[in-house]
Amino acid sequence: MIAYNREWLDALLIRTTAHSWHKNGLLSNEQLVALQEQKPAPFYSPNLFIRIGLGIFCLILMYAVMGLFALTGMLDSEAGLTAFGLFWAVIWIVLLELWIIRSLHHYGSGLDDMLLYVATSTFLGSIYASFPSWAEPVVYCWVALPFLVAGSIRYLDRLMAAAAFGCTLLIILLTVNEIPKLALYLLPFSGMAFSATVWWWVRKAQQRVAWRHWQGIFVIVELLCLPTFYASGNYFVVQQVGADQFNLPQPPIGWFFWSFTFGVPVLYLALGLRLKDRLLLDIGILAVAVSVFTFRHYHHVMPLAWVCTIIGAVVFVAAYFLIN
Amino acid sequence: MLEHLLQQASLEPEAAEKIRRFEAQKAFSLHWELKTLLYFGVLLLNAGLGYLIYDNIDHIGHMAIIAFIGVISAACFGYAFRHRKPFSTGPVESATPYFDYILLLGCLMFLVMEGYLQFQYQLFGERYGLVTFIPMVLFLWLAYVFDNRGVLSLGITAMASWVGITLTPQDLLTKNDFNSHTITNTGIAFGAFMCLVTFLGERLDIKKHFSLTYLNFGVHIGMIACLAGMIALDLSLIYFPLLCITVGFFLWYARTRGSFYFLTVAVLYGYIGVTYLILNNMQGFETEFYLFYFFFSCIGVILFLTNYKRFIKKVAP
Repeated sequence: MIAYNREWLDALLIRTTAHSWHKNGLLSNEQLVALQEQKPAPFYSPNLFIRIGLGIFCLILMYAVMGLFALTGMLDSEAGLTAFGLFWAVIWIVLLELWIIRSLHHYGSGLDDMLLYVATSTFLGSIYASFPSWAEPVVYCWVALPFLVAGSIRYLDRLMAAAAFGCTLLIILLTVNEIPKLALYLLPFSGMAFSATVWWWVRKAQQRVAWRHWQGIFVIVELLCLPTFYASGNYFVVQQVGADQFNLPQPPIGWFFWSFTFGVPVLYLALGLRLKDRLLLDIGILAVAVSVFTFRHYHHVMPLAWVCTIIGAVVFVAAYFLIN
Repeated sequence: MLEHLLQQASLEPEAAEKIRRFEAQKAFSLHWELKTLLYFGVLLLNAGLGYLIYDNIDHIGHMAIIAFIGVISAACFGYAFRHRKPFSTGPVESATPYFDYILLLGCLMFLVMEGYLQFQYQLFGERYGLVTFIPMVLFLWLAYVFDNRGVLSLGITAMASWVGITLTPQDLLTKNDFNSHTITNTGIAFGAFMCLVTFLGERLDIKKHFSLTYLNFGVHIGMIACLAGMIALDLSLIYFPLLCITVGFFLWYARTRGSFYFLTVAVLYGYIGVTYLILNNMQGFETEFYLFYFFFSCIGVILFLTNYKRFIKKVAP
């Protein structure tokens, strides 16, 4: 199911964990060296900057190649465009699988990332190009979703996973939006329900040893669930969407959304401290800031200058004493 | 999960037991969050105070405000001096967790005060160079005394503006005739100077860990100035060789110091320069020619980058 060598992925996991144990003084130098000899992971995974450079040049290269072939005149019809895109998507995926991953053992090198992204976007783009103009946006999402999910599962790609999450959310919201009369009420709650369900599932999934290779993806999805959940019920978001889509200046059950706006950050902070979860805590802090801004957007209690000064002073003093 | 890892690692029972105990008792540290909050507190406070002063300028009186800002700044510096660790040419640990933030607050307040004095009373008159020269000297000195790279960056920024202002003839600025030649050459000289400072520092063993900050300014200012000379001034004959020298220098630096960052940055800037040169000087070819250029050049760069291990001699610790 995974394109990369699973044995090496396992070895990589142990090597990185062993490094952190070693840093904390839990492993001796000999133990670390012995472990690294025992568990080789000969992936080609260069430094981040090299990865960025390789990604950039790989992108230019792929477009140059496709451009050269486009000059031969395949692109003169709509069907030709679709065929061209599909053909190259297949070529890139085959190259990625057989050459870059299988024989060169790249893993997160910039080349494998970029090949995957360009292949997926060319593929989806060429399918979209053949769509009739009256196709609904939700159809585009439905077509993309299986490929995004497959890409994130097979290549352990976090960007693909994030896109898949966004795509699913969009499908749900677009579908709910079509329900007559009830859409206004259902939209926020469907967003909340979706994020909460995914968050709960992802937390469970992280515990499963069998799914250890997708850990990075679960973390990204968890990271996305928290702001989505908060935004679904944030008063500002609800009010803006209501005014935009349904011409309602005031959303119904405003008190609920106000309490949600202030309750959720508190919930995040409390849960974060309780579960010792850094993600929850950090997003909770951000959510507090967003809540303050939301409140200020509707109630001008005092001028911005005073707010900045007072909050700055409070935060500064609080952090100072907490550090002490 | 932990059990799975331990089993895979096949450690001796005692080592595994030690790790189990460690993971169970691992403290949940809020340090990072608190530091970030502290930082935002400083920024918000600064912004808020600045805005407040701007709003109430009629009621308070300028001198009172300036004095107030000055007191804060002085208090911050006073704190820094009272708690400072003895000077060393190597890296120095922060005396207290919020030491760096207080120092930064002091520096920012100093800038606000100075700007205010100039804006309201034209303290320095037309001598704009002096406005940037004073913070430059102060910040660079503080950076070395307190071993703070953030303040060093502020100081280098002040230095760049000082050089820019001093070397640019005033009437050109006021006549809105932007003299690109001067600016470009200044940029190149400034970049070279940053590299020189780095080398003196490393040779004399003074604050070697400042190298990255200096060179980071040097590489971007220097390379962008070279590219600007090629593209905006259209003097490729002069500036392209300069760009090559700069790229060569940073490649050499990356090779000897094991820096992947400078390797990638140098390759990127070099590629932009070469590509511009080719596209600009070889016009009128078929589109295929340019695409083939991109095709072969990218393959070359990718081959070079993927073999970085052979190029870079040692990996930085």
